[in-house]
Amino acid sequence: MATMQSEAPPLTARNPDARTVKRKRSFAQRLRFDWPLLVLALPVVAQLAVFFYWPSAWNVIAFMDYSPHRPFWDNPIVGFAWFERLFADPYFVPALLNTLKFAAAHLLFLFPLSVALALVMHSVVSTKVRSTFQSIVYLPYFFSWVLVVTVFVQVLGADGLVSNWIMGLGGDRLSFTSNPDTFLLLAWMQWAWKDAGWGMIIFLAALASINPSLYEAAAVDGANRWRRMWHVTLPGIRPVIILLLILQIGGILSVGFEQYQLQRNAIGYQATEVLDTYVYYRSVIGTEGASFGTAAGLFKGAIGLILILAANKVAHRLGEQGIYQKS
Amino acid sequence: MRRRSLFKAAGLGAIGAAGLPFAAACSDLKTGEGSTQTTEGFDFLPEYKEWPLPAEPDLVGDPPNHPSAFTSYPDPVEAISEVPSGSGTYEFTVPFWGEAPSNDDSYFAALRDGWGGTTINLRQADGNTYADTSVQWLNANEYGDGILLFSWMLGSHTNFQETVVNSFYDLTDILKGDISGRWPLLAGLPTQSWAQSVWSKDPADPESARLFGIPSTFSGGPGNAMFVRDDLMDDAGIAMPTTIEELLEAARTWSDDANGKWAFGSIDWILPQMFGLIGDDGWSWDEKQGKLVNDCEKPEFTEMLEFRRLCWDEKLIHPDAPTGTLDGGAMQIAGTILFSQENPVRWYEYTALVKDGAATGSIKPLPPLAAKGRTPVLKASTSVDGWTFLNKDLSKEQVEELLDVANWCSAPFGTKEYELMEYGVEGDHFEYDATGTPIYTEHGTKIVQAPVNLKQYSGKVQKFLTGDPEVVQAQFDYNASVQQYIVPSAFEGVRIEAPAAAKSAAQTLSDQQNDIAYGRAELSTIPDIVATFMENGGEEAREFYTDVYKSLNEK
Repeated sequence: MATMQSEAPPLTARNPDARTVKRKRSFAQRLRFDWPLLVLALPVVAQLAVFFYWPSAWNVIAFMDYSPHRPFWDNPIVGFAWFERLFADPYFVPALLNTLKFAAAHLLFLFPLSVALALVMHSVVSTKVRSTFQSIVYLPYFFSWVLVVTVFVQVLGADGLVSNWIMGLGGDRLSFTSNPDTFLLLAWMQWAWKDAGWGMIIFLAALASINPSLYEAAAVDGANRWRRMWHVTLPGIRPVIILLLILQIGGILSVGFEQYQLQRNAIGYQATEVLDTYVYYRSVIGTEGASFGTAAGLFKGAIGLILILAANKVAHRLGEQGIYQKS
Repeated sequence: MRRRSLFKAAGLGAIGAAGLPFAAACSDLKTGEGSTQTTEGFDFLPEYKEWPLPAEPDLVGDPPNHPSAFTSYPDPVEAISEVPSGSGTYEFTVPFWGEAPSNDDSYFAALRDGWGGTTINLRQADGNTYADTSVQWLNANEYGDGILLFSWMLGSHTNFQETVVNSFYDLTDILKGDISGRWPLLAGLPTQSWAQSVWSKDPADPESARLFGIPSTFSGGPGNAMFVRDDLMDDAGIAMPTTIEELLEAARTWSDDANGKWAFGSIDWILPQMFGLIGDDGWSWDEKQGKLVNDCEKPEFTEMLEFRRLCWDEKLIHPDAPTGTLDGGAMQIAGTILFSQENPVRWYEYTALVKDGAATGSIKPLPPLAAKGRTPVLKASTSVDGWTFLNKDLSKEQVEELLDVANWCSAPFGTKEYELMEYGVEGDHFEYDATGTPIYTEHGTKIVQAPVNLKQYSGKVQKFLTGDPEVVQAQFDYNASVQQYIVPSAFEGVRIEAPAAAKSAAQTLSDQQNDIAYGRAELSTIPDIVATFMENGGEEAREFYTDVYKSLNEK
């Protein structure tokens, strides 16, 4: 059986005083030594090639007047015409702004919530309370958006539990699940219920990696609970916070689809239209065609790439690791 | 990023930005520019040979807008005495609403034996999303050997003409001329049905027109109506409304938001007709202005939205109506809502539910209504219901075998073939009642009464009103009473695919109407949404439709 990790043959030390020159191994030699690793990597490369790189190559149709019924190279090249049509569409910019609004809200109001939940969980000593709390908080992550939205409508909808209770007391019917003005709050509540617990798990894992002797040392030095959190816990999980933050910024224009699509009729398109629903309604079930949708997707990808590179750069400037270790 | 690479990136960006208008200006997007197709005057269609009906209808109407009807069940006769022998196995994609029946059911085995042995397995897809997803299946050539598309589904497709001529089997050479020898029932389909199944390979060249689809039944008449629980209305002492104003009063009298009673579930697609907004794709000729105008440019559009908003503000409409997912039919059965916008098929379903004890009372369609003393108008859809398209990869022999089956499926009411197709096997799927009329068993209700199956594979020689005799009589009378209000299409004889920009603008206009109707935007924004529509595809559509209108009226 081949070894998993090969080593270069030991250099013979005939004359310890002679300067040895490390010979660079040829491609064939490297192939001979590393082939088990390459074989191991092959399925992943194949998977990426088939499901990622090949589909990504099709982004080129954003620059064509593409029809699936023509031979590929017979599709006329139209330059940036689809992008021009995209930017001229009066509903593109509102969809983009909505997307940025939800992304910013997610970042500002949900991300810290996950960190806070993790810190609270970390400070709970009782294992029983901790595991119960953990289950309650992160289980909704496994619910589909259909279920989440349905639960919210059943509880907070115009004909829901709370609304009927208020009406029984002589009040007015609730319009919370159909009010565009308060949709951001509703969306945040849905994220908080569904996603905050899951985000917490990752931070909990990071918290577990902090050396407990640091806390003991801090306590011996007289640091109270707050001081220990500020000087030990938060610096301990800072690399993870930064990493997740960068990844979130990279996907800032992908705020999700189902949550907005499911509530689009009830709330109205103006408050709920994000880039993904825009593409869906204009291109997938609309009649603008595949090239238009691809152009919108490519735009989203380009913005995401720029943001992730910028955020990574900032992280490196601040002395953090970012998404990769700066060489 | 090093400073040099930053400059490099900025330079590339600047070049890109500068080149953008140039590149765009050089382009000429053909996708989504719209197309038209004449649907009459062809010399390559199957020659019409009347197929004599086995039984004369009890009530004779004026088809297609006023179909004849049967109030009794005639002894079925055999339409095809010698069925051809087929042995192929095929797969068809069809839409389905509800729970799809299993392909293994004895109903499908009986059909297979009935038409000569050809096996057609159904790939039954959710009817609610079928129109949209069919676009992707067709692009990927993943729909089996055939696909059923209803004519209303074409609106979801971009460049459907291109899809048709590239994806589907060209039936012209097989079906041209006299086909009454092998396929007498297909020869008995109205010539209009075949003419509406034609697409041109090159839209600019009328000579390139070819026959691509097997047409479903040719039908007409009112395709929808506002149905009311007349028993509840009588109990509440409300008279049947005959005008919009009376409808509003009836709704006010009935609704009681605090106690969970509302007049309407949703009224979005039935209401425009009541306000006279029945343009073809929104467009109609205005004699005074001497041009085509869109429904949204008419003062009645504002009236219609005011009515919708009033219903919302006064809580005459269910508070969850904006979700668009209310089951109006179920709520009407429960008595939660009084009026429901429905297809006339609902009349038969409701009556069957009452007979089964699953519902109480009865429903009736409202007569055509209008506001401010105007004369009501009605839109009738006078066309084939849809088409079955066969895959271009099939061989000629396979297509002929499938046409044998289509011929069998075209047998009209009063034949044994029709009985097997519509009711299944006696004793298993249906039983005859005392009057000799087939009544579904529980199994039959689940499997055969299903909305689509293979019933739309090929059109019936003639469409009749059939079913519960009382409902048949009532619908026949209703159809007779509304004929005077039917307004013919301004674009008769031509199939139009609107430019993509116009379709997108229309979708946005619809979203904005909902915003106003459900209190999310003010009524004062109506001129703005109309202007937005016009600027973003409306004017382009006006030009496009005007050209078509002029070409039709100059002939």
